[in-house]
Amino acid sequence: MRIGDLLATERELDAFLRGVEKRAFKRTYYHVRNEESALDVVQDSMMKLAEHYGHKSPEELPMLFQRILSNATLDWFRRQKTRNALFTQLGDFDSPDGGGEFDVLEALLANSDNPQQESSQSQAERAQTLHLIELEIQNLPARQREAFLMRYWEELDLAETASAMGCSQGSVKTHCSRAVSALAKALRLKGIDP
Amino acid sequence: MNIFTEPTGPVSQTEARLGARIAARLEVGSLDLPHSITERLRAGRVQALLHRRVVETQPVPVMVGAHHAAVTLGAQTPGFWTRASALLPLLALVLGLATIGALQDQERAYELAEVDAELLTADLPPTAYTDPGFLQYLKKAAQE
Repeated sequence: MRIGDLLATERELDAFLRGVEKRAFKRTYYHVRNEESALDVVQDSMMKLAEHYGHKSPEELPMLFQRILSNATLDWFRRQKTRNALFTQLGDFDSPDGGGEFDVLEALLANSDNPQQESSQSQAERAQTLHLIELEIQNLPARQREAFLMRYWEELDLAETASAMGCSQGSVKTHCSRAVSALAKALRLKGIDP
Repeated sequence: MNIFTEPTGPVSQTEARLGARIAARLEVGSLDLPHSITERLRAGRVQALLHRRVVETQPVPVMVGAHHAAVTLGAQTPGFWTRASALLPLLALVLGLATIGALQDQERAYELAEVDAELLTADLPPTAYTDPGFLQYLKKAAQE
C-alpha cells in the first residue's frame, strides 16, 4: 500500500468539511453568540486544518478539526477579553435577539404565511422548540456545553472528547451528566419533552 | 464513536439517550441554515481547499537529490572544474611522494658525506683499511 493511499485526497477533505461545516457553525454560534464571529472562527478552523493537516489520513481529520475548532473558539474569547478590557462592550446593552443575529424562529415565522406550506404551524412549533433548546444550550456553562456537543452531537467517545477538551474522561462524564440534567430540567419546565 | 457502545450503567444509558435525542433535534435545526450562511461556509471551504497542504510534492526533492547524485558520479558529462577537482587528491599524493623521496635522498647523501668526512679527517689513512694485518689487529682488539 502506498503512503499516498492513506492520505486524504482533496475530494475527501472537501467531503469532510462539507459534512461538518454546518454543525461547526452552530456549535460555535452557541459559544460566541454572534453570527459573523462564528463564521470567522469556522472559516479560520477549516483553513488551519487544510493548511497544516490537509495531508493527514481521513480518519484523523475529525479529531484534528474538533481540536482546532475548540482552540479557535478559545482564541476568539481571549481576543474578546482583551478587547473588552479596553472598550465597553456595547453589545451588553442590546436586546438578546441581536439585530443581525440569525434566529431560526424568526426565519421560519417569516415564511409561515406561505399558503403552500400545509404544515406551517407544526413547523413553527418545531422551530420554537429548537429555539428553546438552543437557548438552553447557550445558557449552559461553557465546559458543559462543549462536552455535551462534542459527545452527543459530534458523537466523539469519552477518550476523544477528553483529548479534545484537554481534561480527564471523568471530567467529561461529569460535564455531560450535568449538562443533560440541566437541559432536561429546563426543557421540561417549558413544557418540552426532550 | 457510538456513545451507546461504551459500558455504562442504567442512569448513563438514560442520560445518553436523552443527550442523543436533544442532539438529534439540533442536527435537524442545523440543516435549515439560511442561504447566506451556507454560502459563506461554502466559500470558506473552497478557500481552505486552495490552501490545502499538498504532500505529493514531497517525492520531488528525492528525485532532485538522485539527479544530483548522478551528476556527482559522472553519469552526465562533467565540467572542467568538476574534473579538475577530482584530480586534486591524486596530484597531492604525487607531490607528497616526490617530496618524501627527495628528502630521503638528501638524508642519505648527508650520511655518506659525514662518513667520508670522518675518514678523511681521521689520523689513520683510508688505505689502512685495505691492509689484512691491520684488519686482523682490529679483530683481536674487538675480541679482547
